[in-house]
Amino acid sequence: MMDLVIKLDGVRKKYRFFSLDNICLELPPGQIMGLIGPNGAGKSTTIRILMGLVHQDGGDVRVLGHRMPQEQVSAKWDIGFASDDMRLYEAMTLEWHMNLIRSIYPKWDAAYAQLLLKRFGLRAEQRIKEFSHGQRVKATLLLVFARRPRLLILDEPTTGLDPVARHEILRELTGVMADEGRSILFSSHNTQDVEQISDQITFIDRGRIIDSMDKEVYLDRWRRLRLEVPAGIELPALPGIIHVRQQGRLAIATSNVFAPDLANAYENTGARVQSIETMTLEEIFVANVEHSREEVDA
Amino acid sequence: MKGSVVQTLILSDWNRHRFFIMLSIFGGVLALGLVAWGGELPTILGSTWFFVSLIVLGCMMPVSNVINERKKQTLPFLMSLPISVAQYTLAKIVSTFGMFLVPWLSLVVAGGLLIVGRQNIPDGIITVLLILAGFTLVGFCVVAGVAIATESESWTIVATIALNSSYGFGWYVLIRNRELRTGFGNADPVWSPTVLTILLSEAAIVAVVLALTFFVQSRKRDFI
Amino acid sequence: MDGFVISQTDKRPIYLQIMEQIKRRVAVGDWAEGQSIPSIRQLAVDLSVSVITVKRAYLELEREGVIVTQQGKGSRVAPNPGLGMRLQEQELKKHLEQAIRLSAVLGLQPEELEGRLREASENIAAKESS
Repeated sequence: MMDLVIKLDGVRKKYRFFSLDNICLELPPGQIMGLIGPNGAGKSTTIRILMGLVHQDGGDVRVLGHRMPQEQVSAKWDIGFASDDMRLYEAMTLEWHMNLIRSIYPKWDAAYAQLLLKRFGLRAEQRIKEFSHGQRVKATLLLVFARRPRLLILDEPTTGLDPVARHEILRELTGVMADEGRSILFSSHNTQDVEQISDQITFIDRGRIIDSMDKEVYLDRWRRLRLEVPAGIELPALPGIIHVRQQGRLAIATSNVFAPDLANAYENTGARVQSIETMTLEEIFVANVEHSREEVDA
Repeated sequence: MKGSVVQTLILSDWNRHRFFIMLSIFGGVLALGLVAWGGELPTILGSTWFFVSLIVLGCMMPVSNVINERKKQTLPFLMSLPISVAQYTLAKIVSTFGMFLVPWLSLVVAGGLLIVGRQNIPDGIITVLLILAGFTLVGFCVVAGVAIATESESWTIVATIALNSSYGFGWYVLIRNRELRTGFGNADPVWSPTVLTILLSEAAIVAVVLALTFFVQSRKRDFI
Repeated sequence: MDGFVISQTDKRPIYLQIMEQIKRRVAVGDWAEGQSIPSIRQLAVDLSVSVITVKRAYLELEREGVIVTQQGKGSRVAPNPGLGMRLQEQELKKHLEQAIRLSAVLGLQPEELEGRLREASENIAAKESS
């Protein structure tokens, strides 16, 4: 696809105690991608490579068609970036920052900025150092939203926010998608948020991409089967079952490529399938990380 | 388009430091006022204070304008703007130097005017003014260069301390030179080869430091 | 979007919750046959959910004959009398299957389940008449 908004191909980066390996990632226009993974998995590093702030050791990085990091200046005209370790100038007011951004970016939407001030409950004439943590995060995001960039790259935009603030941010993020030409890539620990608003999900752990696909397709592949195992029957190891926990006559089997045949296969061995349950992204997260680490360590 | 982002950043740095700059100029002028007042003690205090203002400005400016961007974590914010690392460095060098040179120049000119204007101060002192002000300029350049190239607060402090300790030594070496000493006390400024050599060396060091800074900065791969 | 609630505690996938709430409105008649319903993108924005989730909900609803989507013209409630009854029928079937599964866990025989059903029916009748 020629007009992919983000394309990472075989990207690698080595640090002393950590390395990113063979990162491949694609984001088509008009979609939101949620990047999830444990702490230290490589989310922030990947995002920094996307912004051209870190040079990759190898591999191809294209953002909005621009090669990174060489063409980062051109790319950054259309990218809105915010990370949770980013700060504004404490001694200056929010209004000062708004003016700074406005003087650089022609697409600044002043009316939308005013609306956001109201929605986020922020006072432009206040100094950044007087803001609470949540207000500061919202102020930083306001500066990104009001520019209406084609691509938003956000590193943990809702981390540390109270439920009301999180709701406000999610509302604006999904609001961006009313415009089909705009896209978002964000990383988060909050699997609920990611599950709710992402079109695509990318799972990263220990510097490797474990999964990257359509969210609904992904959620549909995972099932938890509750089984009743009569005495004398031993549960077979079935392909597609990545984990089984058995206590006495009850067992729980987890599958990451579920198809109805799996349930039949169990029934055929004499076990009874009590229920087949969908899993939340949080449950998938834990199961997936444990499973992928077992595979690598083996 | 790109040039104007660099301009915007330079202006932003000036904007944020305007109070600090005015304070330095004010402090220097007050010091000159003391010298103008006359008398041995005020003159010594005033002239010391004058150079201390320049030294402090020279140390604080790189820390506040360069080191703090990384320390206060505003660097990702700046690098999210449409600029490259080279453009960022350019903006920083221009603003940092500008914010030092403007007060420095103003105070040196003010000092010069005071010397020339006052009968009881020998004009020969102008060479002292220029040489010592040159010290503070060189000191500033080195600290600024270290700050920009290393982005390390520790190294910048090391440079600051090293330079501050050397000023006294430099002055001592100068004062031991009889030719210079007599020149200083002369009614008219004496532009001897020694004086010119010293001034030219100072200028050369400044140029070298600038070039080195740019060079080191261009080699960096992981800016953040 | 008034009335639509995506519940965090409801562990069912979001697209199912959306489908159910749309079906309810249709069953009750709040959303009339042939009535225009929000576009996929619009509903996604209103609910703060991903476009792909709403898209899936709409696809499934179309497959079940609840809504109809025309390219370029958006979506509307399908013209289908008796739809209301069919939806309720589906609900009842689901509840019965659930009851059967639960009784299996409890180890009840079908006759015992029947007995429980009669008991519950009598209780409700008693409550309603008092």
